[in-house]
Amino acid sequence: MNKSIRKTTLAMSAAFVATMIAGQAMAQDAPSWCGPNAASVALLDGFGGNSWRQVTTASAREEAMKCASVTSVEYADGQGNTQKAISDIKGLAAKGINALVVFGDAGPAVLPAVTEVFKAGTIVVPYRVDIGGKEGENYNKWIGASFVNDGENWGRWIKEILPAGGKVLFLSGPAGNSQGLDELKGLKNILGAEYVFVNAEPFEVTNWDPALTQQVLTAAISKNPDIDVIVSDFGPSLVGALPSFEKFNVSIPALATSDGNSLGCFWTDNQAKNDKFKLFTVATGNDNARLAMRWAVALATGGTVPEEQIFQAPMFENSVSGTPSAVQCRADLPGSIYLSAEMSAEEQTKAIDQ
Amino acid sequence: MHEGSYHLSGMGSRRTLRPTREFLTVAGSTLVLIGLCALFAPSALAYGALSGSLPFAAILAIVGLGQMLVVQQGGFDLSVAGGVSLAVVIASHYPAGDDALLPTAVAFAFVCAVVAGLINGALIGLVRLNAIIATIGMNALLYAGVFAVSGGVPRITTDLLASIAGGEVFGVGHTVLIAVTLLAMVWFMMKRTVAGRRFEAIGANPLASRAIGLPVKRHQVMAYVLAQVLYCCAGLLIAGITTQPTAFQGDSLLLPSVAVVVLGGTSLLGGRGFPVSTVVAAFFLTLLSQFALSVGLPYSAQTIIQALALGFGIAVYSLRWTGLKTLITSSREVKG
Repeated sequence: MNKSIRKTTLAMSAAFVATMIAGQAMAQDAPSWCGPNAASVALLDGFGGNSWRQVTTASAREEAMKCASVTSVEYADGQGNTQKAISDIKGLAAKGINALVVFGDAGPAVLPAVTEVFKAGTIVVPYRVDIGGKEGENYNKWIGASFVNDGENWGRWIKEILPAGGKVLFLSGPAGNSQGLDELKGLKNILGAEYVFVNAEPFEVTNWDPALTQQVLTAAISKNPDIDVIVSDFGPSLVGALPSFEKFNVSIPALATSDGNSLGCFWTDNQAKNDKFKLFTVATGNDNARLAMRWAVALATGGTVPEEQIFQAPMFENSVSGTPSAVQCRADLPGSIYLSAEMSAEEQTKAIDQ
Repeated sequence: MHEGSYHLSGMGSRRTLRPTREFLTVAGSTLVLIGLCALFAPSALAYGALSGSLPFAAILAIVGLGQMLVVQQGGFDLSVAGGVSLAVVIASHYPAGDDALLPTAVAFAFVCAVVAGLINGALIGLVRLNAIIATIGMNALLYAGVFAVSGGVPRITTDLLASIAGGEVFGVGHTVLIAVTLLAMVWFMMKRTVAGRRFEAIGANPLASRAIGLPVKRHQVMAYVLAQVLYCCAGLLIAGITTQPTAFQGDSLLLPSVAVVVLGGTSLLGGRGFPVSTVVAAFFLTLLSQFALSVGLPYSAQTIIQALALGFGIAVYSLRWTGLKTLITSSREVKG
């Protein structure tokens, strides 16, 4: 009994101190989405087990802490288990948390739980994964990411470096994943018939698994040693596979993908001996969670909702033009951090080292 | 008790080196597949393609050898995924890029493998738990270890491990050489030592073996321990060749590990083991997926082809063709 009282007192005083510090820091310039009403928020992950998720979670937490009205930020990890993800949503709502930001990995399977807590008065902002349903009926606001936009950005860059067309190899994750299909739509919006896709339709399946990626890439190169550009929506998984080109005695081709510290460092180390190795990346999108968090906090605290309704991953590195950024490599920090994220590289290192 | 397997030549044996039916089946299928590749997907046989895919065949072969030892004892090891993944995360997380810490990490990985194998073996061999249930439980425990070590987050391999696993000698990858060495060791131990001969006999008939006084339990426990040690080797190699492995790298090996054992001709009821055929089957399965990729088949078709190959393997060895023939003729006679 004594122990639990002591624990509660300790937790309360810690929360109080944290709120005071946060309050003082933020009072000077509270963002417009931060309203006056006190509110608690929670972040629900469907699957939290990779560095991308850890950086994303830490980013959302950092964003929430910018608002002094936020009294607490809780986190629950569904661990890839749909049942747990559903009970997390219901459990945190029952605990009285005012706003939930939900990464609905299980897709429409979490919609009933989301709808239930939304109808019971909790603010719910699902993001990134489309869980179906409608705004105002099943949840407050869905903050998607525009993967078509990523595809178009890649397409425009490919057009710049290969104006006369060329052979394109497009790799994505599990068979039929909507992210890959949207990216392909974007690519096809920009690239005409002079760009030949040498992969199986619609994309070469890699499950975002580095070992499978390596095997898929080997088969693709042996069939088409003259690939001009590889498009992949998970750049860092290519790092183990790209040295395969050496075995065929051809240069690594141009690469349009998403960023990662390990990839940036790989380019830095290998670009000199591979004359065709150009690199273009879009931000891998950790900050999608920040936008979702802003919406949730705005709705829960009575702030102004952000204008942005969909997350557009900004372009990041371009080894040809150097804009918006030259290729970045922090060899002193872990390979599995994302220098495109708003959170500082050092903070990310802390987040993934937990 | 069988008088040994005769399918590997050049091991200094005085016995007749007559290839077994199992070896002929899998080797024949592989030759047919090579022929198909030469006709329809010559790129799958190019040097670059082979040097890219052989390391994965080698890893599958090593995992398959481990699974084979367990299957020989009439068991089933579903903790392959956990064992491999744990070795991967220990080898990539603990050193965190520092080559000097790699030997300790590797040693620790092997200690974990032996402990996991002993627990598996004790539960199944001594406590007589069902192998499937015990190893599923062990798999969950090993994954708990994976999370404890890594938090589910992948790290980058150290340069030393990458060069050990990814290096080549005269154009042959280290992984291939390691797999061949491990195969030779498993083959020699099983076919040319007393303990190995006992091991096969116990797998074929544990009751009779106990009756003649063979240490049945000890051999069954050893099967699980050696299997984990082999999974650990495979995990260390994966960590080396994929550079940035995931924390769940073993997941995709469970089904293929059983598939190569079956295709290699080892009976799922236990008994005689076919290490060489198992390794050839690993090459066959890997080449099959390279073939499917090179021909440009959609992912669904690739999966179906692999399933068909597995079904074919089970059919060849499990169905009693003569019995089936009698059944068909007799049913015709009845109808007629």
